[in-house]
Amino acid sequence: MFILTKIADLVQIPPSQFEQHSRVAIENNINAKYSNRVIQKIGLCICMYDLLWASEGLIGHGNGLVNVNVEFRIIVFRPFKGEILFGKISSASQDGLQIRTEFFEEISVSYKELPENTEYDHNEKAWVWVVDEERMHYDKNEMVRFQVLDETWDDQLPESGDQEAVDRAKSVSPYTLKGTMMKEGLGVCLWWD
Amino acid sequence: MRILEAQNAVLTNVEVYTFLSDQAKQYQSQKRRGPSNLETLRAEMLKYFETPPNPLSQKPLPYDVASIPVLLQRLQPYNITKGECIMVVNLRPTTSAALNAVLEDMEGRFSEQQQDEIINIIIEVLGEFPPPAEEGDEDAMGTTENGR
Repeated sequence: MFILTKIADLVQIPPSQFEQHSRVAIENNINAKYSNRVIQKIGLCICMYDLLWASEGLIGHGNGLVNVNVEFRIIVFRPFKGEILFGKISSASQDGLQIRTEFFEEISVSYKELPENTEYDHNEKAWVWVVDEERMHYDKNEMVRFQVLDETWDDQLPESGDQEAVDRAKSVSPYTLKGTMMKEGLGVCLWWD
Repeated sequence: MRILEAQNAVLTNVEVYTFLSDQAKQYQSQKRRGPSNLETLRAEMLKYFETPPNPLSQKPLPYDVASIPVLLQRLQPYNITKGECIMVVNLRPTTSAALNAVLEDMEGRFSEQQQDEIINIIIEVLGEFPPPAEEGDEDAMGTTENGR
């Protein structure tokens, strides 16, 4: 589910933070920039894991910022293909299920990836797995196990400078996961435990 | 920003959980607050790990980082892949169905006896949820639902 990624970057510490220990100031600046952000083809950054190296601070001309070159490792959420995760059903539609975790919401399971004999109940707006005439519901907020099938990336770059194009680009999530529940042991946890 | 190494290491949930909860304690003792994006994300992640049936929701923690090499060593004779081992540590499958989800082609690779042996090793090293409570308040109900 998680990996460590090694990154080099330039950290700029403003004079207002000079009273902090430089280690603290560097860590805060890295986390402010990366935490809860998606780097394309890397994953969702969680927080700095360790600082591997930092240069001497050089004071920039004109602005008083201290520039520090750093190398660090960061914890990244990046489940591998085929990995099984816990998640919660956040909504259902005719297309399938939306799954979320507390910190990541962009997970979908297409109806094609639900087990055989699963049908959509329009009244209850829920998918139902029918096994030997027993109706088992994929209810909202139910804890599930799902398997990661695929990932999609979107760099959110607008096609033009128009506000409309910018808004449209931003409305696409930078990182989404597609999952499946087509295997014994997947789906609502209560069914199996 | 320059990516020096996209994947330097893989971390299990218990490692990330330990790192984040230690960080929360450390910040608190130093009366320090991280950037708000980090504080929010950290709280959400701790909540994720502490939600049943995540094994890390069990208190006291049923296993720690030191349990991982023990588990790997005990499972070594069964030729379980690295990815499968990571899922075993993260999800702690203690039923046959849950194990089936985690192991590719379980029926083809392992006899029923071997499957039982694997589950027993997992329970011995990583623990399991306590058996269903007889009666009780809502907390006990929660355990019932998530116990074996």
